[in-house]
Amino acid sequence: MSPPLLFDRALHRSRLNRAARDYDTAVFLKQRAALDAVDRLESVTRTFARAVELGARTGAFAAALAESPAAAKLHFLAEADLSLPMLAGRSAPRLVLDEERLPFAPASLDLVVSLLALHWTNDLPGALIQIRRALKPDGLFLGAIFGGASLTELRQSLLAAEAELRGGAGPRVSPFADGADAAGLLQRAGFALPVTDVDRVTVRYEHPLRLLQDLRRMGETNVLLDRDRRPLTRPVLARAFQLYQERFGLPDGRVPASFEIVAVTGWAPPSPEVGTDRRRSRQGGAGPVDLSPRQLVAPTFPTLHASRPVPPPEGEGG
Amino acid sequence: MTDAPARPHHQPQVDPRLLEVLVCPVTHGPLEYDREAGELISRSARLAYPIRDGVPVMLPEEARELTD
Repeated sequence: MSPPLLFDRALHRSRLNRAARDYDTAVFLKQRAALDAVDRLESVTRTFARAVELGARTGAFAAALAESPAAAKLHFLAEADLSLPMLAGRSAPRLVLDEERLPFAPASLDLVVSLLALHWTNDLPGALIQIRRALKPDGLFLGAIFGGASLTELRQSLLAAEAELRGGAGPRVSPFADGADAAGLLQRAGFALPVTDVDRVTVRYEHPLRLLQDLRRMGETNVLLDRDRRPLTRPVLARAFQLYQERFGLPDGRVPASFEIVAVTGWAPPSPEVGTDRRRSRQGGAGPVDLSPRQLVAPTFPTLHASRPVPPPEGEGG
Repeated sequence: MTDAPARPHHQPQVDPRLLEVLVCPVTHGPLEYDREAGELISRSARLAYPIRDGVPVMLPEEARELTD
């Protein structure tokens, strides 16, 4: 009955462990999502006795919260991550957990925050259901996930380069959801009043290599279980960089990298059981829409087997 | 930080507000806090989850299997 596994969680964990040291140099997306989550919290008129952040990494959310009057609304915040090294510098109550197997008692938390960390779960609907169950009635979930248009330039360049040089392309990407799907996912997980909002960010890099470097520092490298066993070779990567620059290059020589941050907000229903049909029917087609991860596939993150960095084609010397 | 009595290994204590809500991620059964050993014990899963520097590591793959 369980869906096939897409991601190797142990590999993801080791990628995060490896990324922990330099994570703060590539933390801008996390910070952006954190500021947005704090904004959402500011507009909520209640307090939260017990909050947990899943995938807290190095504490960007807590840092953003500390700058906001919303900080007074949280009486207790524990920071959780799959990677212990990510939490190493934190002084808040911490724990290591896997979002696929949450260790929280039912109806025990008032607020769960998860920013840009759920896209490597094999069963996203299942993870959302676990979050909803851990929340008390009327508990709040503040989330952010990467949208499907994220890294479209890199994705297209890699696919084209692989097709050109190998006559086929492997999955170098992590599947992901779009804004509309995200609201449906929340609803199916039993959240009431789901709200989603898409924030589109374009980052300019002097070279595609810098983008890959950032992704590695975020720990966002490909952990698809069925990923192409053949590592990305230098020629493929060099050609992908070329195509990236040709197709997407800006007049100033830089290249853009698109990211979509889908903010999701949902409330645990007042009773422990799933919300009312009234809320569902407002969405219109509340029928058996299948929103399994397979259907949401819109590939996102590239693989980075590049433990050995590939120099830019010009080969600027040291 | 309060003064802890001299013990062979005294590590930072886990925040009680966190402990109160933790259950075994495998069975969702209750956990026993073994301060001396620095472990959270799940009898139902026969696993002892380690606490490292005051941080509970709630991963079955990191847990010690109970033999008794």
